Amino acid sequence: MKKYFVASFAILLIAFVFVRCNKFPIDEDGLLITERAQCYVSNFELLGSDFQTVRTQASLIDTTALTINTTVFYGTDLKNLYPQFSLVTDAKLDPKIVGKVDFSDLTNPKKYTVISGNRQVKKTYTVYITVQPKP
Amino acid sequence: MVVVIFFSSCKDKEYTIPLPKTGLNNDCIKRSLGPNIVGMNIEFTYAMALPNATGKLVSSQVEATIGGAAGTYLENKSYYTNGSGVDIGIVVGNPSVTTSTKTEVTFSKDTCASTLRYFYYIPEEARGKSVSFTFSAKSSDGESVSYTMGPYVISKMDMKLDMVLSDNNNSYLSIADMAVYNSATAVANADKIDLVYLYRAITGITFLHSLVSPANTEYLPGVTLPAGVTKSTKVSKAWALRDFNLARLQYGIYIDDLDFDVINLKDAPNYAINTKAEAGVWVETADGKYRAYVYVNKVDNTAKTMTVSIKRLQVK
Repeated sequence: MKKYFVASFAILLIAFVFVRCNKFPIDEDGLLITERAQCYVSNFELLGSDFQTVRTQASLIDTTALTINTTVFYGTDLKNLYPQFSLVTDAKLDPKIVGKVDFSDLTNPKKYTVISGNRQVKKTYTVYITVQPKP
Repeated sequence: MVVVIFFSSCKDKEYTIPLPKTGLNNDCIKRSLGPNIVGMNIEFTYAMALPNATGKLVSSQVEATIGGAAGTYLENKSYYTNGSGVDIGIVVGNPSVTTSTKTEVTFSKDTCASTLRYFYYIPEEARGKSVSFTFSAKSSDGESVSYTMGPYVISKMDMKLDMVLSDNNNSYLSIADMAVYNSATAVANADKIDLVYLYRAITGITFLHSLVSPANTEYLPGVTLPAGVTKSTKVSKAWALRDFNLARLQYGIYIDDLDFDVINLKDAPNYAINTKAEAGVWVETADGKYRAYVYVNKVDNTAKTMTVSIKRLQVK
């Protein structure tokens, strides 16, 4: 049994030595710069401090007007929210989301820029949050 | 290449049957898990044995560095688990005798091997300190052995289980007192009231069971606060944090003193609406003296009640 382990390990070791790295360059964040030019947000999630969703319904994303409209529950604390963007393949977001975000300033909505896989196309989305009114 | 050669030159070792030990031997394991909270117990099992031909067990003793609270005992039964998974106890000794820090059991049956359980009820004097235990056994041939366990740090936190809050009745919660007040008794303890519980079923929004600071009247619809009840307490919702000591469910997660020291509630709001069963809230009192975790055991929409259990640490 042991000799089979040794033989397969030896073959794998030789295989690793000869494998070439992929041909895409890497940007300053360690992400691949590919050939994709698509640049859009496919989904926007918003979580509260307990990491449960605070949206009342799906976010409305307008790719032409570059807006994201979300309605949150009555009583949501807007100072401690965790946004989650779903982007198209290979795209990245700027500024990076590192923790909680303060969305409480409704007169100055936050803007996020999506950068495409080939890093050539940049689109800036504005996030508009509406709090469910008390009936 | 070198690695391949290295691996192929290793050989399997021959297996040899281990030799049994002679004389009196012992072993000990700690059975309880989680933080050692004052008022709860630390459980051990202590095994002692010697060869049958050599002699029998005479006595077993546990000495704690800080004497246990009333109820500390060394089991005088030896347990085995039967086919149905039930632990059956066989009396092997006299009931344990505790004198200050020592708890002793004298064997009354001839036995050369026994495992006894030890329950140490954590006293108030041990709060925040370390406790060590020395387990020892004596046999009829004059031998004695001992085993040291510890040191174990005793938590500084307090805990209170199953407090019932009810809407428009016993709805005033005090973290400082770990107590629930109604509108009459709240007046006398106005400066201790940290949170108000209310239940509202308002169509169009999800309000339901909520814990709100008295200072935030926007989220206290239909509530008339007693005079002097005005505090603003920081509240941060947590989801599925079913602490084992508070929830007493099957989840093995424990909140310890360290969790209260590191949690940052600086930017937390002072209200939490729509709290659900098996969720909880982290709380920091207005004066910053206490941090607590209030776990929601259950909620009742018809009776408009919420049962909570609290772990609290004085941080200032």
